[in-house]
Amino acid sequence: MILKLQHLLKTTTCISLTFFSCLLWAEIEQEQAIHAPVDELHASLLNIMENADTKSFQERYNTMEEVVVKHFNSPLIAKVILSRHWKTLNKQSQADFIDLFNRLTISTYVNRFDSFSGEVFSNLTIEQMKENRFMVKTEFMRTDDKPVSFNYIVQDDGAGWKIISVIANGINDLSLKRADYSAIIKEKDFAALVASLKEKISDLQPK
Amino acid sequence: MTGSHLFKLPKLLILTGILLLATGCATTQNSETVGDNDPLEPANRVVFNVTETLDKHLIKPIAEQYVDTLPVPVRTSVTNFFNNLGYLNVILNDFLQGKIEQGITDMLRFTYNSTFGIAGLFDVSTPIGMPHNVEDFGQTLATWGVDQGSYLYLIAPTTTRDITDQVPSTLLNPFFYMQGLIFAPISALSAVNTRANLLEATKIRDEAALDPYSFTREAYLQQREFLIHDGEPPATGYDDIFGDASDAGNAGDDDESGMLIIE
Repeated sequence: MILKLQHLLKTTTCISLTFFSCLLWAEIEQEQAIHAPVDELHASLLNIMENADTKSFQERYNTMEEVVVKHFNSPLIAKVILSRHWKTLNKQSQADFIDLFNRLTISTYVNRFDSFSGEVFSNLTIEQMKENRFMVKTEFMRTDDKPVSFNYIVQDDGAGWKIISVIANGINDLSLKRADYSAIIKEKDFAALVASLKEKISDLQPK
Repeated sequence: MTGSHLFKLPKLLILTGILLLATGCATTQNSETVGDNDPLEPANRVVFNVTETLDKHLIKPIAEQYVDTLPVPVRTSVTNFFNNLGYLNVILNDFLQGKIEQGITDMLRFTYNSTFGIAGLFDVSTPIGMPHNVEDFGQTLATWGVDQGSYLYLIAPTTTRDITDQVPSTLLNPFFYMQGLIFAPISALSAVNTRANLLEATKIRDEAALDPYSFTREAYLQQREFLIHDGEPPATGYDDIFGDASDAGNAGDDDESGMLIIE
């Protein structure tokens, strides 16, 4: 009887341990999956910074293009930024705008992250916002200045976790661009917005 | 009351007026449309354009010249000096927000920098674990539950709530009680140094912004939220822009405020 009880206890312990290990493993895997787009973005940014003197703008642009296209949910970002104006566009105009917006994002990254002096990205925490939406908190550590807080909202769009918003020192790029772009559309029109964005992209290219 | 204090009476009255006006405006916020934080936009834009023109042709070139002329350590010391002069206001607002420990540390910071740091020229406190904190009366009012009120653009972006800080920050600044001819050049140095410290930020804005007015307003309001929450604003606040989004699949309808609802 005692032997049977001991056997039952051992079996129960084994099953419980296996169950909790699986749960823990699943949680670690999910956390890694949520972090992956941010980690790859940071790796690419450090890459273009370290190679700013040896690689051309176009080469660094290609490096960033790969990661932005893969890890940013650009269609969703474009929809949110254009807000009510999004529905007034036909499919082709929407696709063109997404492409234009990606070019602006990539050019901005290449233009801004153009030197390296020992900077590192440091992962802080992950905070759940909704069932399929998390905020990944990180810091950009500089050797000669205060760290910059870089937080990312990542969302599972069914095909994996993607970045849908970047927040630098509390300033949400999505909100900033929505306010900025809607002012141009309100004052002029969508064509003027497109023209302005093309001009900005051009200004970001090396002269 | 001495002659010099009588001379400063109009300034005090103006500051009190600002406080009363701002408090009045802030309390009318509830009657405004939710999300409409800039009901004074037409007037704000006029002031913004005038300020930008003045900045472009006068203040910015002087600030650039200042940066080119003075080495970084000298400019850092000038910034430290003015930061230290304004630090009594930080200490007051630490306590008003119930941050007792931070208040005590900031008092020590002020004492150390004023003495060992030679009148605040050198920041001797940060390396020993007493960092520079940013607190003001606008943040205090926010922690007390006062709405941000209406956005205002005067010389710089502010709101009807945040502008109230002008009263304690002016009255608690020893510079306000300074007498004689030295007042004008030190005021000018403070203004030029402040503008010089903003050169990088305005460069980024000018590179990125399509409509600098909207960009500045949005960045300012978000930065204030960041400061009010000591760098840790609730993540849910960033969720609002997605409306009732629960899935990234298809874009849905707009609600009446223009918020995109993603279904």
